[in-house]
Amino acid sequence: MEAVRNAFDFSDFPRLDLWVAGGVLAFLLVFPALPHSSFAMTIMIQFLMFSLYGMGWNTIGGYAGQVDLGKAQYNGIGAYTTAVMMVRWDVPFWVSMPVGMALAVGWSFIIGYPLFRLKGHYFAIATIATSLILKDVFEVWDFVGAAKGMEIPIRKNLPDFLYLQFKQDYYYYYILLALFLVGLLYLNAFRHSRLGFQLRAIKDNEDVARSLGIDAHWCKIKAYAVATAFVAVVGSFHACYNFNIEPEDVMSLDLSILIAMMALLGGAGSLWGPIIGAAILVPLKSYLGDWLGASAGLVGLNLVIYGGIIMLIAAVQPRGVWGMVEAALARRRGDHGAA
Amino acid sequence: MALLEVTEVSKEFGGLTANQDISFCLDQGEVLGLIGPNGAGKTTLFNCIAGHFPVTRGKIVFDGRDITPLKAFDVARLGLARTFQIFQASGDLKVAENVMVGAFMRTGSRRQARGRAEAWLDFLEIAETGQYMLSELPVARQKRVALATALATEPKLLLLDEVAAGLIRAEIEGMVTLLRRIHQEKGIALLLTEHVLEMVMALSHRVIVLESGRKIAEGEPQAVVKDPEVIRAYLGDHFVKRAGEASHA
Ligand SMILES: Nc1ncnc2c1ncn2[C@@H]1O[C@H](COP(=O)(O)OP(=O)(O)O)[C@@H](O)[C@H]1O
Ligand SMILES: [Mg+2]
Repeated sequence: MEAVRNAFDFSDFPRLDLWVAGGVLAFLLVFPALPHSSFAMTIMIQFLMFSLYGMGWNTIGGYAGQVDLGKAQYNGIGAYTTAVMMVRWDVPFWVSMPVGMALAVGWSFIIGYPLFRLKGHYFAIATIATSLILKDVFEVWDFVGAAKGMEIPIRKNLPDFLYLQFKQDYYYYYILLALFLVGLLYLNAFRHSRLGFQLRAIKDNEDVARSLGIDAHWCKIKAYAVATAFVAVVGSFHACYNFNIEPEDVMSLDLSILIAMMALLGGAGSLWGPIIGAAILVPLKSYLGDWLGASAGLVGLNLVIYGGIIMLIAAVQPRGVWGMVEAALARRRGDHGAA
Repeated sequence: MALLEVTEVSKEFGGLTANQDISFCLDQGEVLGLIGPNGAGKTTLFNCIAGHFPVTRGKIVFDGRDITPLKAFDVARLGLARTFQIFQASGDLKVAENVMVGAFMRTGSRRQARGRAEAWLDFLEIAETGQYMLSELPVARQKRVALATALATEPKLLLLDEVAAGLIRAEIEGMVTLLRRIHQEKGIALLLTEHVLEMVMALSHRVIVLESGRKIAEGEPQAVVKDPEVIRAYLGDHFVKRAGEASHA
């Protein structure tokens, strides 16, 4: 099938990219076997989670160019579906995860249909609003534990692969790494697909896109659903990894902005962008968190720093760190003039 | 049988009437020119026909179907393609990928879309530009890419909004040759606007003249340019009088 062939087709990348990607992959595969601190393991797990968030966001925010700042609501739907199904009905992760994904995608259609009638900033603001409203609902909804959230009870026999409970973090790490690789291959097929091309045409110019038979509104809704599916899966995983979820934690505005930042910083609309963004931002955020946590007065400084990074990207290189790297490589190869 | 039938189409923007009761037909395989000074309403009429603007009044039938209420993407899928007067070159797509977007209207397969895109770039004699970004090309090449992208949707009728604008004489001649080939070899009907006359004159079987949103003349290109109404629309009353004096002398 062509989609499968497309998933493994990296031929449009220069050889250097593929060597670097291969090296990173080898490192990711052996990392748990290397000597490391538990802090480093936590960071690596977060790196994989945020890479997946960012890869999802990149479909709507990067390829389609629609700045979505409300992804936390779908993280919440994924996390809560898994937690509620596990706590109340003893349903395994591998069942609740696709259910959470389906619920999140269903909700994304309801949200996306009216929201994609809005343009630019209005769209971005509306995504923030819908996410905050859903969070407020969860904070007062007793069935899901209201503001206290939900706690998944520890199982008797560990490791438990059905319910995703492990003593050692490397189990979580490898499951996440598998999801990461599947996600990466999916996105590689996505960017080669008809929808992938149509989204980039929409980002370029919507009127031109329409004249080429593209239903821009519907294409955006589809991309939004793909982004949502990614985020919801990570949300489900997060519930098992953390045991404990609450609205402020899984549906915060902070999280929505961070998700967008991964791709924006790394390079929106490129396959590697969100991964590069996560590799920079996740350690930064963890060290900042540790460092600022000690001085309680500085809560909120992280938002100031994110704001600064966004302004810097907008001013220096809209295509993020990856854009800078590509530009530098192009200069070194010598500028090829116009044909 | 008429491929496109426009019947008493009007388009108002607030108080401004950009098109007023415009009617005309375009036959299968015909090349029809639409001329008129700047601001006459040519682009607006294109936007109405292609479904980018809803019309205020009137009816548009394409290939036997009433397309008046349809959106632009549905009109495109029926086989009516267009190029844009204002054309910004930017974005993440390379030239060949841009053309593939057009081809993707008719196929879901990337392999097929790429093959068709390459064939159209080849047909328009810009095969070597495929791997460049649009913004790296000179304007004349960019216009050909826009043409290739529209053609890749496999249209029956192509609307061209000032494809010659911004081109130098030699490039205009190249464009005329290309459009003639598109029409003759591919059998695609053309509706072209231009406020520069020479291109329309060279290509069109018939010409329609717009002024201030109204149709003021229609006919063979050579007859239309001699029409005093048309000369006045283009050059002002002053020139009509001078032309009259010259023919008396
Ligand atoms: N979207 C719009 N909103 C308001 N007025 C418009 C719009 N598009 C065109 N017009 C007006 O309609 C008239 C015709 O413009 P246009 O169709 O662009 O002319 P042409 O293409 O013949 O130069 C002009 O007066 C122009 O200002
Ligand atoms: Mg115009």
